[in-house]
Amino acid sequence: MARGWFGSDDVRRWWLSARCAPGALKDYYRVDTPTEDTPWTRAEFAAIDLETTGLDPDVDDIVSIGLVPIVGGRVVLSGALRRLVRPTRPVGERAAAVHGLLDDVLAAAAPLEEVMPEVLAALTGRLPVAHHAKVEREFLTRACRRLYGRPLEVPYLDTMDLERRLLGRSDTPLAEGMLRLDACRSRRGLPRYRPHDALTDALACAELFLVQATMLGGAKPAQLRDLLN
Amino acid sequence: MDSTEIIEVRDFLAAHHPFDLLPAQALAEIARQVEISYVRKGHVVMKPGDEVRHLFVVRSGAAETRDPHGQLLARLDEGEVFGIRALLRGGTAVNQSTAIEDSLLFLLPRETFERLRRDQPPFAYFCAAFDGGRLADSADAVLGNKNLDLLSKRVDDLLVRGPVTIPDGATVREAAQAMRSEKVSCVMVTRDGRLAGILTDRDLRNRVVAENLPTGVPVTAVMTADPMSVEASAIAFDAMLLMGRHNIHHLPVMDKGAVRGCLTATTLINSQTASPLYLARKIHGCDSARELAEAVARVPDMVHQLADAGATSRSIGHIVSTLTDAVTHRLIRLAEARLGPPPIPYAWLAAGSQARQEQTALSDQDNCLILHDSYDEAGHGAYFRSFAQFVNAGLDICGYVYCPGEMMAQTDQWRQPLKVWKDYFTKWIDQPQPKALMLSCIFFDLRLVDGDAALFDELHDLVLEKSRKNGIFLAHMASNAMTHQPPIGFFRNFVLARGGEHAHTMDLKHNGVVPIIDLARVYALSAGLAAVNTHDRLLAAAEAKAISQDGARDLIDALEFISMTRLRHQARMIRDGRKPDNFLEPGILSSFERTHLKNAFTVVKTLQAAMAAAYHLSRF
Repeated sequence: MARGWFGSDDVRRWWLSARCAPGALKDYYRVDTPTEDTPWTRAEFAAIDLETTGLDPDVDDIVSIGLVPIVGGRVVLSGALRRLVRPTRPVGERAAAVHGLLDDVLAAAAPLEEVMPEVLAALTGRLPVAHHAKVEREFLTRACRRLYGRPLEVPYLDTMDLERRLLGRSDTPLAEGMLRLDACRSRRGLPRYRPHDALTDALACAELFLVQATMLGGAKPAQLRDLLN
Repeated sequence: MDSTEIIEVRDFLAAHHPFDLLPAQALAEIARQVEISYVRKGHVVMKPGDEVRHLFVVRSGAAETRDPHGQLLARLDEGEVFGIRALLRGGTAVNQSTAIEDSLLFLLPRETFERLRRDQPPFAYFCAAFDGGRLADSADAVLGNKNLDLLSKRVDDLLVRGPVTIPDGATVREAAQAMRSEKVSCVMVTRDGRLAGILTDRDLRNRVVAENLPTGVPVTAVMTADPMSVEASAIAFDAMLLMGRHNIHHLPVMDKGAVRGCLTATTLINSQTASPLYLARKIHGCDSARELAEAVARVPDMVHQLADAGATSRSIGHIVSTLTDAVTHRLIRLAEARLGPPPIPYAWLAAGSQARQEQTALSDQDNCLILHDSYDEAGHGAYFRSFAQFVNAGLDICGYVYCPGEMMAQTDQWRQPLKVWKDYFTKWIDQPQPKALMLSCIFFDLRLVDGDAALFDELHDLVLEKSRKNGIFLAHMASNAMTHQPPIGFFRNFVLARGGEHAHTMDLKHNGVVPIIDLARVYALSAGLAAVNTHDRLLAAAEAKAISQDGARDLIDALEFISMTRLRHQARMIRDGRKPDNFLEPGILSSFERTHLKNAFTVVKTLQAAMAAAYHLSRF
């Protein structure tokens, strides 16, 4: 059975799976993943977006998670997910102003430990895709560490990096805001969406990824390795 | 509120036809069924024979559909769907669909499509139009307001009760008692079951009480004998005009010689928009062209109101043309009053849209005059010249401006004795010249407005008899009917013509209604049908099997939809203080209007092609 991803990372995943206590993360690691030479149209992805109370994963909380699967080169909305998460402390007005989620709404939401298994199930066998993926990677890793004692280790596809790549490796620095999600979408001829809802942003990211992955391919679809670095 | 509603997808669908027909709940559900695909420019989404598992919606970008011969069928912009035909035919693509720009497509699974067709009638109707179903079904499903159109009703549709009659042997008292017990304002007097007279409330007052007559007198002594009546099958509006013209309030309704009921002014007014009646009355009271002009100046407003009230363009055409007839009648009476009685019989004919009863505005006048064959230039020439000039000038003052092509009775050529008219038509039909025919086309739509019906009938019979038998003439007329063609559809803010050229506006007259009128004329002439109105011609042609029932119905629906779009367009221009024209900018069309106009164009194109094939017209 060919383990997926990339050489030593494979071993690492196997090791993590072995060390995990039975539960959502262990199940996640058990599933095979595609190899690097898989054409992107035959792999599965999950575009994901998190709304958080701030940018520091050690201090701030996830308050909402949006996820949209991409299967066979298509965004599949029947697998879409939008979950609110009860934060460990009040959100504060500034963050609420951005994502529009008020404390009383969030107080009624499920805690992260109830939401996370569902999210991991939706991520299983799929490569996560996010715009400026650093945030999603850090927060999800941190969440898994806290809930399951092990990190979530998986390579992310970052639509911001892909956009930078498509814009060419010119030495002129990119102007402020050129890599924002809405700016990238507009550059790729995609419709304007209302920002700051986790599911809408995940969908926006998924569609952008379709365009980028298509553009990075030639006569044949791009392979995962073409998209990952 | 872990709502996984896909807001952006749902809202996008809700804003586009046919998804705008769906309830919110269904929309939210189908938004979750959507798959999204991105294709580069030039990508073939489906080609003939492919299995099609989805309905496609253009989310951004554009696509086009071509038939297996490469003929462009449609260019699809944001929000437009394709693949319906393939799904309706068991999921096998019939045409080729290609992205013509980098495009984001929404894919709706076939199962969802089928469920929508099953559970959402408006959606099913929308789809039916793609599979030879009727256009009107879909329009009605959405508008659902057929009954608003009281103006197309027949007289018997308006009757609220059966007739109240008494035999002619009854006394006035018995008549009054019958009226009291039946709670009616008039009673009809019958002799051997046939209508002999009518007695009204007013007659009892004026002819009995005021005259101090005993109530025992026979009703026949005070009734109005042999009153005017109307056939049950007549158009209600015509009855209304008759009552207005003769200032009567009760009109017996007859059905094959038997009394069916009585129409009263109240019934009519309650069921109709008052203004056409008012206008008709006013026209009959006018004593000069200036006064007439003042009366008909309200026609555009009236058209606007009728359209708002849900009248069909067919009814509106009937009403406006009937008012034009009324103006013509009045001018003819004024001409006769001024010039003296005509020295010989004549027939005043309307041509073109007035003849077809399809005027929807004060348009150019088209008319002609048939004179009795006893016509003698020296003795009668001056009279009829002045007569025609008076009526034509009067019409011009009223806003029915002089015909730029001189197709008017004041033109010597079109004011001729019957025998000359017969020669004209004989020549047109027996030796058809394409150019001459194009010009004289308008005279193949003729209707008697005033004068001697026998003169018109004789000419009309000749035309119908001759044209029906002359294949070469019919082929020329058929070829004429291909002169104007509907566009393929719309693309963004452009009109898409055959071959793919874009135009900024669409001519709703020449590329909209005219092709249908032309087709109907050929069907009518080929079957020797007397009908002149396009709608009537199509019905009669279907009856005579000159066209299929479905074809006729589809053309009628297409005509109605295009005409209504034209009327609304013109009403909008009037509202904006602009001079109404026929040039529509597609940008202002709703998604619903676009779809239905496109379906209407398809119907016209299909029947044009069928006619071209039937007459072996190679150029088509």
